[in-house]
Amino acid sequence: MTAAPATHVGSAAGRPARTRRPRLPYPVWVKGSTALVIFALWELFTHVFAPHYVARPTRVAAVIPEVVTSSEFLAALSGTVVPIVQGMVVAVVLGTVVGLAMGQVRWIDRSLKIYVYGLFALPMVAVLPLVTMWFGYTEGARLAIIVFAAFFPMALSMYDGSRSVSRDYLEVASSFRAGRLAVWFGVVLPASLPYVLAGFRLAAGRALIAAVVAEYLIGIEGLGFYILLNARSFRHNEAFVAVLALALFGILTLFLARWATRRWCPWYRQGAG
Amino acid sequence: MRSTPRDINAVHDPAAATSRIQIRGLGKYFDELCVFDDIDLDVGSAEVVTLVGPSGCGKTTLLRCIDGLVAPSTGEVRIDGAPVVEPPEGVAVVFQHFGLFPWKTVFRNVAYGLRMAGVSRRAIAERVPAFIELVGLRGFENSYPYQLSGGMQQRAGLARALAVEPKVLLMDEPFGALDAQTREVLQFELLRIWDTRPTSMVFVTHSIDEAVLMGDRVVVLKGRPSTVHQVIDVDLARPRTRATTTDPRFHELREQVWNLVMSTPDDHNSVER
Repeated sequence: MTAAPATHVGSAAGRPARTRRPRLPYPVWVKGSTALVIFALWELFTHVFAPHYVARPTRVAAVIPEVVTSSEFLAALSGTVVPIVQGMVVAVVLGTVVGLAMGQVRWIDRSLKIYVYGLFALPMVAVLPLVTMWFGYTEGARLAIIVFAAFFPMALSMYDGSRSVSRDYLEVASSFRAGRLAVWFGVVLPASLPYVLAGFRLAAGRALIAAVVAEYLIGIEGLGFYILLNARSFRHNEAFVAVLALALFGILTLFLARWATRRWCPWYRQGAG
Repeated sequence: MRSTPRDINAVHDPAAATSRIQIRGLGKYFDELCVFDDIDLDVGSAEVVTLVGPSGCGKTTLLRCIDGLVAPSTGEVRIDGAPVVEPPEGVAVVFQHFGLFPWKTVFRNVAYGLRMAGVSRRAIAERVPAFIELVGLRGFENSYPYQLSGGMQQRAGLARALAVEPKVLLMDEPFGALDAQTREVLQFELLRIWDTRPTSMVFVTHSIDEAVLMGDRVVVLKGRPSTVHQVIDVDLARPRTRATTTDPRFHELREQVWNLVMSTPDDHNSVER
C-alpha cells in the first residue's frame, strides 16, 4: 500500500522539471534599430529645419556626462524621486486597505464607491490650485498631489480584485474558521495580486505625472522644474537629459515591480513570460 | 418514497443515540427552487456514509449545510448534539477542486487549518510533516500547487483536512476532478488512511463504484426536490483493498445502487434534468 503513492508521485514529479524549449529573447538589435531610426530622423530634421538651440540626439548625448554629474541635476533628481517613492508607499498601503475594505464590507462600499470613482476620474491638475492653498507653495503640496494621483487607481484596482476573489478560496477559509482579518490579508489580498500589480503600474505612472506637473506649477526643485528652467533658457539638450531620466525612472519602477513579483510570488503566472 | 424498511428513521434507529452527525428534516430552497427536502440522516462516529444521486440533486449543497457553509431553509444539522450554524470545530472538508491556495507552498497549505485554529508555529512545525508523509508528499513541502499534478494537489488537500484531526470528514467529490487511474490510487490511499484513523465521514460522489467501495452505507438521493430515496447497507468487510472490487458482493451492491439511481421514480420525477 505504501508503495503506491511513491510510484504515483514519482511519475508526476517529472512535470515541473520538464521545461519547454526556452523562447529566445527578441534580439537586442531589433529593439535597438527602432531607436536608431527615430534618432536618425530626428537628427536629420533638426539639422535641416530647426534652429540651433533645439535638442538633437547627438548633442543630448554629448551633454549627458556633464549634466548627470552636476549637483544641480542630482538635486533635481532626488527632489522628484524621493517624494514619488514616499507618496507611492502611502498611496499603495492606503489604497490597498481602502480598496480591500470596500470590496469586502458592504456599507464601506456603499458609502465610498461614488467618491472614489469620482475622484479617480478627476484630473489631478484641477485640484492642484486648491492643494497649494492648503499646503502652500511647498514640497508638502507636491507630496499631497502625488498621493492624490496614486491613491485612487490603487484603491479601485484593489476594490475590483477584492470583489473578484474566487468563492472557492473564501469557502476554504471559512470552512477552516478563518477570522475576518485572516480572510482579508491571508486570502483576499494574495488572490488579488494581479489587480494590485495593475493598480501599481497605473499609480506609478500617475505619480510621475503628478510630481512633474506640481513642480511646473509650484516651482519647487525637481526634474520637472529643471526641465522647465532649462527649456526656457534655451538649453534644450540639458532639458532633454532630465526627460530621459524621468522615462528611465518610470521604466525602472515597472521592472522593479516585475522583478519583485517573480522573486516573492513565484506562483504568480507560474513562471511564464 | 420513504417507505422501504431500509430508510433511516431516527426514532427506530439504534445508531442515532451514538451518532456524531444528526440531520433532521433538512431542506434547502433557492428562491422558489427546492433542491432537497425533508432529509433525515445519522452518521456514526466511525462510519462512512456516501451520498449518490443524479447531478443537480443537491448532494454538494447538503454537504455544505453539514459544514455550516450554507444555511438550510428548514430543519437542522447537529454535530455531537450541537446545532451547526457556522463551520464547526472538528469538521474538515476536502474539496472537489482541491481549494489549495496557489500562493502557499504544500507545507503552508497543509498547515492552514492549524494556523487558523491558533496552533503555535512550533507545534505546526512538529505536526505537519507527519501528515505530509501520510499522504505521500514528502519532499514536496516547498512546492507550490502549480508545480504538482492534480492527484498530488488533492493529496495536499487531504493532508490539510486530516491535519486538524477532525472528528468529521466531509468529502465533496474529492476525486471527481482526477483522471481514472489517479482516482483509483487515491481511493485506496484514503481507505488505508481511514483504517488507521476512523472518523465520521460523509462522502459525496458521482461514481457508484466509489460509493460502494468507500461507504458503510450508501444513501441514494432522488426526486425533485430530492429526498432520501433509499439507504443501502454495504456489508463488505474492512479493511477494504483492491481485492474488495473483485468480490462478487461488490458487484451485486453496485448493480443494486445503479438500478436505484437510474430507475424512473414512481412520482413522475425525472432522473436526469
